[in-house]
Amino acid sequence: MPRGSETTAPAGGLLPARLGTPVRLIALVVGAALVLSFPLVAPNPYILSAGVVVLNYAILSTAWNFVGGFTGYISLGHAAYSGLGGYATGLLITKAGVPSFVALILAGVVVAALAVPIGIAALRVRGASFVIVSIALVLILLLVFQSWGAFTGGSNGLVVPRPFPDLLRPEHHMVFFYLYAGLIAIALLAWWAIDRSRFGMGLKAIREDEDKAQSLGTPTFTFKLIAYVVSALFTALGGGLYALWFGDLDPIFQFSILTGSYMVLMALLGGIRHLFGPLLGAFIVGTALEIFKLEFGSTQLHLVAAGVLLAVVVLFMPDGIIPAVGNLVKRFRPTESSIREVTAAELLEQNRARAAAAGQPAPPATDADAASDTKAEVKR
Amino acid sequence: MSGTLIFQSIVLGILLGGLYALLAAGLTLYFGVMRVVMIAHSAFLILAAYLAWYFNQQTGLDPLLSLFVTVPLFFLVGVVMQRLLITRLRPATLTMMSVLLTFAIALIIEGMLGYVFTGTQRRINLSYSGASLDLFGARVAVVKLIAFGLAAVSLAALYLLLKKSRFGQALRATIQHKEAAQLTGIDTDRIAGFGFGLGLASAAIGGTALSLDSTIYPSLHWHWIGPLMAIIVVGGLGSVPGAAIAAMVLGLGQSLLQLPLGTTWAQTVFYVALFGTLAFRPQGFFGGRLAQRF
Repeated sequence: MPRGSETTAPAGGLLPARLGTPVRLIALVVGAALVLSFPLVAPNPYILSAGVVVLNYAILSTAWNFVGGFTGYISLGHAAYSGLGGYATGLLITKAGVPSFVALILAGVVVAALAVPIGIAALRVRGASFVIVSIALVLILLLVFQSWGAFTGGSNGLVVPRPFPDLLRPEHHMVFFYLYAGLIAIALLAWWAIDRSRFGMGLKAIREDEDKAQSLGTPTFTFKLIAYVVSALFTALGGGLYALWFGDLDPIFQFSILTGSYMVLMALLGGIRHLFGPLLGAFIVGTALEIFKLEFGSTQLHLVAAGVLLAVVVLFMPDGIIPAVGNLVKRFRPTESSIREVTAAELLEQNRARAAAAGQPAPPATDADAASDTKAEVKR
Repeated sequence: MSGTLIFQSIVLGILLGGLYALLAAGLTLYFGVMRVVMIAHSAFLILAAYLAWYFNQQTGLDPLLSLFVTVPLFFLVGVVMQRLLITRLRPATLTMMSVLLTFAIALIIEGMLGYVFTGTQRRINLSYSGASLDLFGARVAVVKLIAFGLAAVSLAALYLLLKKSRFGQALRATIQHKEAAQLTGIDTDRIAGFGFGLGLASAAIGGTALSLDSTIYPSLHWHWIGPLMAIIVVGGLGSVPGAAIAAMVLGLGQSLLQLPLGTTWAQTVFYVALFGTLAFRPQGFFGGRLAQRF
């Protein structure tokens, strides 16, 4: 799925590189402080619980972005993994008597292991077929979990015992707010690390042009699969945390295409190429959804609103808010010159120094031998 | 399990397969002309069923008469949708973004249906609802036969249109090779719009046929989109005969598996076929060149 190359944002993003780092750090600290202080300033338990719901969306869409953002594979069925994570956690606690948080970790591992064969099957196809497969995955799991009532509780739901039975409701919300915040921080850190790594470079090459990446020796299938499994792991952890927090699982809500589409909507709205894109999208869409629930209650209008928002994003803002705002900021700055401020000789010197520091010989004149020992995986 | 029961299942499977084939043909048309996977296809199907029910409710006339309104209406909606929405998407990401766009349309339709008609389950009561025919020992409801007849006639009409008319030739040329079609003087944008309209018109016919013998509710379209998607993947994206054959085979399979497994688990045949196809033949069983690209 090559995306238009004109949208490949420079690494600097909103700000020039030199000014960027301190400003970004300050913004990060302020943002984190705002999030962490939310439970203390929340006026009532309802607002606090809404905050937990928004954070739940945030971890899900951030987890989704490991696949969607890096590889460009749009999965509409990631609710399959949050649902599996929730059910695995609940079943491990109720059927096997595992302690709550051990069950959560175990559930993450189990779902990640399950994601390997599913990923091998699903990632064989691209584009539209992949989306179809991801939808089918949710539908089939919904079918199984509804029908297999003896094990999963079926449509009656599965009650998950609370991990902290002594806590009052507001304190319970507060604890889970911080647990979610911690999980999101870990996921963001992982995304950031991948973004800067060679592995991340390979994934982004897949997003821009998979065939070219493959012919240049990127082990595309393995890379895609790893990204997919990591994404499933974080999604499952988010789902498991939800099971522990909410305490009641129903297949209709756990394996819902709607949840999966919310993940996509949030990530797209914020900007799938940006670290904080899904988070930003989750804050906007999650808050909007909560307000909608208050205003319109049980009518189906929230579906219409979600649909309209998704259509607007897809039609007018496919790169998300962050790049849109970035472009706006750029218009008010002096235009950038296209002249590179480093000469070719300086650049070569820099590259040599970097290669020497990494303990590798300077880049060879040709890449032929480098390409030949990387076995190109042949699709089909 | 008696022989007549199996025979009955086979007949019912063929009848169901006919409806699947018509709907899958519509999906194939969208994919052929625009490389668009239309998630909203089944939402339009349910919309048409609701319109047929509402028509029957208001006028007391036979719901089949609503076809005279819904088919042209859906055709227009399809053309407008293609011209105003789908063409706005960037060519490089068209397939992926069109999935999301049509998904959004499906959500809007489901939400509006739920808002206007509430989530109550609806069913059309006809004078011939309970009637059934005896077909070599198998009892087949008349409404199912009518639904199959509708599907078969429309499929045949679609086939003739595609094979015999000038418009059909232009449409097939657009599907086969867009640039070459443009070189021969075909206005491929217009043709693609008409292709979209035809696809949606097939949803109108299918929806009316569906409304005759099943209970409808707004979120029903999720039960249809999975099987339909499985059918076009198994048949190979972009191949009308492939979709029709896959629809028949899977419809039969579902009907036969209902005997030992029950209705819910029989649904899984679609997903098993889907994953099996992807594991062994990702381009589908009848898809040619088109499917290779995706």
